[in-house]
Amino acid sequence: MIRRTIGIVDYGVGNHASVRQTLYSIGYRCRVSGDRDVLADADLLVLPGVGAFGAAMEKIHALNLAGFLCDQARSGQPMIGLCLGMQLLADGSLEHGYHAGLGLIPGEVMPLEQARWHIGWNTIEVIGGDPMLQGADRKSMYFNHSYYFQAAPEFTVCMARIEQPFTVGVRRRNIVGLQFHPEKSQDAGRDLLQNVVEGLCA
Amino acid sequence: MIGKRIVGVVTVKDGWAVQSFGYNRYLPLGRPEVLVENLDRWGADEILLQCIDRSAAGLGPDMALLDRIGRRGLSTPMIYAGGVRHDQDAVDVVNAAADRVAVDALLRDDLDAIARAGARLGNQAMIASVPLTVDGWFDYRTRQVGGVPSAILDALASGILSETLAIDAVHEGTPGSFNDELFRALPGTFPLIAFGGISEPAQIRSLLTNPRVVAVCVGNFLSYRENAVNLLKEAVPGVPVRPAAYHATRYG
Repeated sequence: MIRRTIGIVDYGVGNHASVRQTLYSIGYRCRVSGDRDVLADADLLVLPGVGAFGAAMEKIHALNLAGFLCDQARSGQPMIGLCLGMQLLADGSLEHGYHAGLGLIPGEVMPLEQARWHIGWNTIEVIGGDPMLQGADRKSMYFNHSYYFQAAPEFTVCMARIEQPFTVGVRRRNIVGLQFHPEKSQDAGRDLLQNVVEGLCA
Repeated sequence: MIGKRIVGVVTVKDGWAVQSFGYNRYLPLGRPEVLVENLDRWGADEILLQCIDRSAAGLGPDMALLDRIGRRGLSTPMIYAGGVRHDQDAVDVVNAAADRVAVDALLRDDLDAIARAGARLGNQAMIASVPLTVDGWFDYRTRQVGGVPSAILDALASGILSETLAIDAVHEGTPGSFNDELFRALPGTFPLIAFGGISEPAQIRSLLTNPRVVAVCVGNFLSYRENAVNLLKEAVPGVPVRPAAYHATRYG
């Protein structure tokens, strides 16, 4: 396997240690940083996140990372958003009032209508047969959220169900967002994360 | 469909993982990070790390322990409880290693701080921890028991916390003895996690078929047998839990 370098975007929100350890255990070199030069040199960027949308965007702007992340994504640098990091890829969110997002994948982050929370393990359904995701079809992943990315069908690559299906994975060319935590989804999540990194970097 | 969860518990006192009996008597088990790592490897759906002496001593969260666990890179979600004094403590705990935070003393002391923590972490990250006896809500700092005030019940129903950990404080550590009558102290529809004296498959089946119960916590009983979580899951067929997940050994 090519020793790829993953830049984990450190914007002061959430637990980077689990993401870093998972990627490191797969065999990737990891750089946890908020420094644009360090991140720009990475083969792929991971935007993690645990927390509220507005607070996260505030931190990203405070560190002058919003424009950088958009420029890198548009220039073709592979990028993965995890959980809140996936939601930040959207145009905006209604969590604790309206907040603008990075606007990299069209859609809005809305409160779940079917339940107040979506916490725990749920199976995902891969839509469209994307080869780098297909191995995770019907696998259980760990979710912990109450808002979801309402994306257009052409960008939806994974769904989960409470009663009705809703989007839990999005892709737009070199950018992938996953609503669940592959780094906290044991072997199934680890395998998926490796496949997505390799698929985006191929 | 979202699965119900079997949560493995590691109880920590004076820096050591202990087997607790009703929060009165303790036997040392070893280093907490080793027990946490075992639960991670053995396929627990979630891990609850509760440091039971932090709030009473005013020590704050055990950040050194969280740092050691964070370095191990868990692949299982973890709830941390113990010593959380304000919203910044909750944020620090999540930044260190935890995915969610359970609060007990803070529930009594400062509901506004819980709301602020929810605004920063997302309300899904916040869990209420409510030790109960047949006489009501047990305050482990004063050892007194009283009713659950309506302001607390309103807060639990309002959604500033996502789930409520209903602890049988008397039967904790006694196999197969959880008293589900205690749920009466927590009227409403907010989701519950049951903990305290839960060890038997029939008991787990009964609890997880209660629509309000989204998870059960199993403590010491998981620490004495490899893959005990998976064996419990296999013993409750038809219960909507994630199928047993045996860890694949990896090299390199």
